[in-house]
Amino acid sequence: MLYNKYVKMHTKSTMQYRSNVMMLSFSACLISIGELLSIFVLFKNFKSVGYWGFYETALMFGIITAVYSLTECFARGFDEFPSLIKNGDLDRLMVRPVNMVYQIFGSKIEFSKLLKACLGIVVMIIAIINLNIIWTFTKILVLVMTVICGCLVIWGVMLVGAGISVFTIENLEFINIFTNGAKEIAYFPINIYNKWLSRLFTFIIPVACFNYLPLSYIMGYGSLPSVVYALSPLFGALFLIPCLLLFLWALKRYQSSGT
Amino acid sequence: MSKIIQFNKICKDFKVSLKKSGKNKFLNLFKREHKTISALKDVSFEVEEGDIVGYIGPNGAGKSTTIKIMSGILNPTSGECSIMGYTPWKDRKQYVKNIGVVFGQRSQLWWDVPIIDSFELLKDIYKIPTDEYNETLNELIETLNLKELLNRPLRQLSLGQKMKCELAGSLLHRPKILFLDEPTIGLDAVTKLSVREFVKTINKKWNTTIILTTHDMSDIDALTNKIILIGRGQILYKGSFSAIKEKYDHIKQIEVEFAKPYDKIELEGYEVLSHNHNFATLKNKEEINFHTKDFFNAISKKYDVVDFSVESISVDEILAKLYTELKL
Repeated sequence: MLYNKYVKMHTKSTMQYRSNVMMLSFSACLISIGELLSIFVLFKNFKSVGYWGFYETALMFGIITAVYSLTECFARGFDEFPSLIKNGDLDRLMVRPVNMVYQIFGSKIEFSKLLKACLGIVVMIIAIINLNIIWTFTKILVLVMTVICGCLVIWGVMLVGAGISVFTIENLEFINIFTNGAKEIAYFPINIYNKWLSRLFTFIIPVACFNYLPLSYIMGYGSLPSVVYALSPLFGALFLIPCLLLFLWALKRYQSSGT
Repeated sequence: MSKIIQFNKICKDFKVSLKKSGKNKFLNLFKREHKTISALKDVSFEVEEGDIVGYIGPNGAGKSTTIKIMSGILNPTSGECSIMGYTPWKDRKQYVKNIGVVFGQRSQLWWDVPIIDSFELLKDIYKIPTDEYNETLNELIETLNLKELLNRPLRQLSLGQKMKCELAGSLLHRPKILFLDEPTIGLDAVTKLSVREFVKTINKKWNTTIILTTHDMSDIDALTNKIILIGRGQILYKGSFSAIKEKYDHIKQIEVEFAKPYDKIELEGYEVLSHNHNFATLKNKEEINFHTKDFFNAISKKYDVVDFSVESISVDEILAKLYTELKL
């Protein structure tokens, strides 16, 4: 398959700069561990935030870390779309008989994010061991769906940013509010925040759908019927549709630059 | 011969936002004035299958825009274009299987990975059957002398070697049309010659139609007699290159050596380009036809001439003249 070839090529390229990738990977992990420690210190003092305790928050932290790292690893081409436009690589992709979205996925794979994704998964596992959850098949399914749909939502945000950059050609710092900003917010259950903020991150950018909503199902919390919590990741995934449409619409209007 | 490319009244407008400097900078964030720049105005031309066509014009004339429309990257504001029966920007995926594009200044190969791996990836991208791929690759290796380069990453190659690999990469799927955007830019004389030789070979062997943009007029001189001249978004001339050369054939540049140094050289009907002790370079004015005998008679009457040589003006000068004449 073509994508395997892309992975092979990126692996070969990355191996040329082994120590650099290792440094990047470890520094990213150190930052994550620092963030987790600050959450730990917080819970030392407060015991709980709402009805969420430390390990539940750690599980959320693990999910968010894994979701962001995986998306940043595999959808890097969309994240760095402005540079794809600027250095003319998009023109190159357009003269090839392969679907554009597929090619943009193939254009960049950031392996240095993988270690952090693993860290996220390890944190998830540690948290799960320490939480007395009675696992059922649906709960496992919901957890898996949460990670997958989380990736789709973040990819959606990247698509919007990429779509807008077709017209501005600039790196859009304000998109960071929704990518990195949302990440900081989502380390904690979104429903502890101000009403408007939590609505924004539930209905407009559905970060809550891979945050406290599915966890409420897994933990058996919350006042809504459990079906709502269980299906929330799928609701989040719907967010991708308009994002993808916007991106494709923008790509059609792409005006190549310069020579 | 059949028409492989048909361009019919293609127009392309770009909307450019005007950024005002000074006090209004903040307001500009919200309100911007737009200006429409037309990069191409009613561009029409045809190219026959198997031709090499030189597409020339000064910087900013619209060459790249045309190439981008032809390769399906840009869609024009209006007009029709049919290439091998496809409309490039509509049937992009189907269409680009049949074309190869080399942008002289950016690469399609991977920086850190051996060239052969980049080629293998292209094989998968274009879904080239293995037999066909091996055959084409061997042929390209032979004609371009690529054997030693294939296992080295792009970053270790010189500019000339890179261009050779670029050319090979864009020909692996045996395109019917090859677009070359300034293929000889920055190359040394030897590499330039071999790139030209290769382009000619491919054109003959595979009957590949080649559209070439360049600023190096010797490229045109060596490769083709068919040119399309574009300036300020309009086609100014299409036809044979020799016709243009003939038009300026009567202008000559004459280098004269005198027996002794003169303070000033003047000759009616001639322009003195340079003058240094015993030597001077003259050029006849455009309205006069140059005759060696007349010239010699005229100059030897006034000065003591030892030797002189007559040269036609260079292709570059012809083009520069043409550009000024057309006010580009």
